[in-house]
Amino acid sequence: MHADAFARLVDSVLRVNGVPRARRAFVPTPVMGRTPEELRGYVEGDDPVRGRPFMDVVLEALLEPIPPEDVRDVEFDRSQEALVEGASEEALQALFRENGWTDFLPVVLPTRERVDAMLAGTSHPPDEVVGKLQATKYRELWEFTVEKVAVNAVMAGAGPEHLPVILALASSGITARQSSTSSMASMVVVNGPIARELGMNSGIGALGPYNHANAVIGRAYGLLSQNLQGGSVPTISYMGCQGNPMTYASPTFAENEELSPWAPYHTSRGFSPEDSTVGIFEVWGNVWSEGLREHWEDKVKAMLAGIDPFLGVVLVVSPIAAREFVNVGFDTRESLIDWIAENVRVPARRYWNHYAAQTFVREDALNGIEPFASYLHAGPDELVPLFPREKIEVLVVGGETNAQWSAFIGSRLDPRYWAPGVQTTVSVDAWR
Amino acid sequence: MSTLSVLSPVGFPPKVTAKGLAPSLDALDGRLLFLVDVGFENSDHFMVQVQRWLAEHRPELRTEIVRWRNQHEPDPELSARIKAEGDAALLGVGL
Repeated sequence: MHADAFARLVDSVLRVNGVPRARRAFVPTPVMGRTPEELRGYVEGDDPVRGRPFMDVVLEALLEPIPPEDVRDVEFDRSQEALVEGASEEALQALFRENGWTDFLPVVLPTRERVDAMLAGTSHPPDEVVGKLQATKYRELWEFTVEKVAVNAVMAGAGPEHLPVILALASSGITARQSSTSSMASMVVVNGPIARELGMNSGIGALGPYNHANAVIGRAYGLLSQNLQGGSVPTISYMGCQGNPMTYASPTFAENEELSPWAPYHTSRGFSPEDSTVGIFEVWGNVWSEGLREHWEDKVKAMLAGIDPFLGVVLVVSPIAAREFVNVGFDTRESLIDWIAENVRVPARRYWNHYAAQTFVREDALNGIEPFASYLHAGPDELVPLFPREKIEVLVVGGETNAQWSAFIGSRLDPRYWAPGVQTTVSVDAWR
Repeated sequence: MSTLSVLSPVGFPPKVTAKGLAPSLDALDGRLLFLVDVGFENSDHFMVQVQRWLAEHRPELRTEIVRWRNQHEPDPELSARIKAEGDAALLGVGL
């Protein structure tokens, strides 16, 4: 039984999971937020996809004999052509758009010559398998090679010098085109010597369109995600309610290690300062602030208090703001994370009045996982911590034109909701 | 007319093995139907309404609401219980 907005996706997911003829019935969308009386109306009403009473469809699914071909196991191959042909560059650009292979902006066409030139950017052979990607955990995992990543890197306008970073992102197992209804995007921080080698921007305008490497690496991550996972097509393999403008760029920047008062981000993830890495965050939006002033504690609490507890927060702090945090006692990024985890609290009634908290955190709570199980029993006005420590991140980015800092709604991906082996911080050096 | 040739940017899909479906029921009388709440918001309340409708309109059918432990993972214990004790299952409400 499904909500009808997902009818095409249901067909697609059932097909790729090997049960294309599984019986299904639909109720109107949404189910969330409906009263018991409204839900009863759904049960007594029509299946909007079939145009017949919902419970008639359900009972038929239970009772109608299943044809012999539906109870047999069969195998089918879904392989694709390696080459694409067209009469002209314009025709190929149009074909790539129609096939859903672009972000609807022109791409650099991946000719054999351009892809071979790109492959010079890594020591890894073209046919080496890099990894697998999927649009959600419900969908199948698609596999891809170094050459396939290089094809998408060419399309994004990247050069061979960028390929190790792009391969590291591809190998993470994390797609930048997740199909979540919540419309999430990916954000990437680059740490270590590679950022300087590529001339990446960590200063003024680092999060905007002001640097070639920042721009093409982020775009390549998006394109390779949609193409190597088997698509990102609204109603079939993408269900983000509104979409997210950050998915155009998958904002990619270097941490400002030179001006940061704290150790580089990747050292908190087990790497040394000499290692080059990419760190990947799932983000939804951001809230802006400037400087720490007299009542900064109240402001931080208020800024974060409206965020869904499941999503978490990435504080992206300019160097001046970072020094101001140091001046009020946070001599490490971890100490700031600890303060947020301890002090940003909301009444339990509001904690549980969020969509993702209801869907994901409540599931943990019902399964007895602490501290969430205890939060279920908290009184409605009892203040409970908004985020566990692992849902809070701090990065130092930007120039010194003011003390800007932003709270990006989001955090590192929770690996429980993805295939085994996903990595949120990945070595670039392994792909040189 | 000459054509331009470029490389496909698409990854390699897995081979999908289609799984056979379970046979349908020949009757509802005395059968146990599990109503499986998969955990999306309000699907527990929806299942209650399905259960009430069936009690009113198909009283010969027994039903039991159960909760899928984690909507993103298989629940082998629950699946085994449904297979051992039940005659059919309805899963919902899927987004």
